[in-house]
Amino acid sequence: MVNQDEFKKRIEANISQDYKVEFLGKNFEQIVNLLTETKAEKIYQWIKDIVERKIEPISVGSKKTYKEWEVNELLTFRYPFSIGNTEYRILFVKVKNSVYIEFHLGDHKYYDKVRKDLDLKKSTY
Amino acid sequence: MIIYNPHNKKLLHERLKETENLLVQIRAKYCFITGSFLYKEKYKDIDVFVVTRTKKKIILKNKKVKITTIDFNDLYSLFYHSISKSCIAKNILPTKPLKVTLSDYWHIINEAIPTLLNEKDKFHKNVRFLVLYTEYFKTGEVLDTFQLNKKINYFKDYSEVMKYVKRELPNIINDYAKPSYIKRFFYTQAGYYKELKEYAAQSFLYELTHEVARGIAHG
Repeated sequence: MVNQDEFKKRIEANISQDYKVEFLGKNFEQIVNLLTETKAEKIYQWIKDIVERKIEPISVGSKKTYKEWEVNELLTFRYPFSIGNTEYRILFVKVKNSVYIEFHLGDHKYYDKVRKDLDLKKSTY
Repeated sequence: MIIYNPHNKKLLHERLKETENLLVQIRAKYCFITGSFLYKEKYKDIDVFVVTRTKKKIILKNKKVKITTIDFNDLYSLFYHSISKSCIAKNILPTKPLKVTLSDYWHIINEAIPTLLNEKDKFHKNVRFLVLYTEYFKTGEVLDTFQLNKKINYFKDYSEVMKYVKRELPNIINDYAKPSYIKRFFYTQAGYYKELKEYAAQSFLYELTHEVARGIAHG
């Protein structure tokens, strides 16, 4: 079982920036609690790989507004994993050439909602 | 039970029974099972789809079952048209005309290429939409789950999928879109990818947009 404060601290330590990343998601704490140490370590390593530019981001050439940014100013990194029979997704959002702003963790339904907000997904497919 | 089997694919008899038992447990009029479970002995995972307005989570005790709920608005999608084409359903499934655009297709490519490069070993799982959309625009045919699996199995690795996209996309776009739209849309997209060319996927997408736009420029 992984503690959510520890989990957040490890992620923040890996990206080392002054801007405070927002940790978001439905049932965030419960999902983190379900993680094994091995699964959590894989996530920390994935974050390191993002920082070292080893992971491919998804970018969308859209002028849609997402909070204070246009979607085309953002990069999204996606990490799928499953616990038991349930699939979860992490979406880690960065402003191009700048700071990481959001770490989303949730089930498929939550993931679909965030994808729509970020214009990664159209309403019907 | 309603059996949708347009290609007369041989279904596993014992799986039909299991399918029926599962579907009757679901308290929804429109639900169905599709995929390899129906015709491959070694494939144990069961893909159940439920068309419903309810927000309640549907749970079945069988651990091999994966339930996906589909909103009535999604009945127009290529995804629904594909999964419902060959399946076992509790009742006659609702039908709506297919609505799919080139912009939807580009969204699929835009997301699929980075995903493909991040998970090279799992490319079979990650290219389903990409191949489904490409084949639809290439041939006009909606592949069902059997046909889609067969098509995907032709690819030996992720790089073959990349080559396939590079080969098929420019022709598809030139066939479907007006030159003025192509110029406007793809040059704009290319501008976004250009600043991210340090990433392999963005570089590939940049080249792809240029390939399409170049096709127009050269008639």
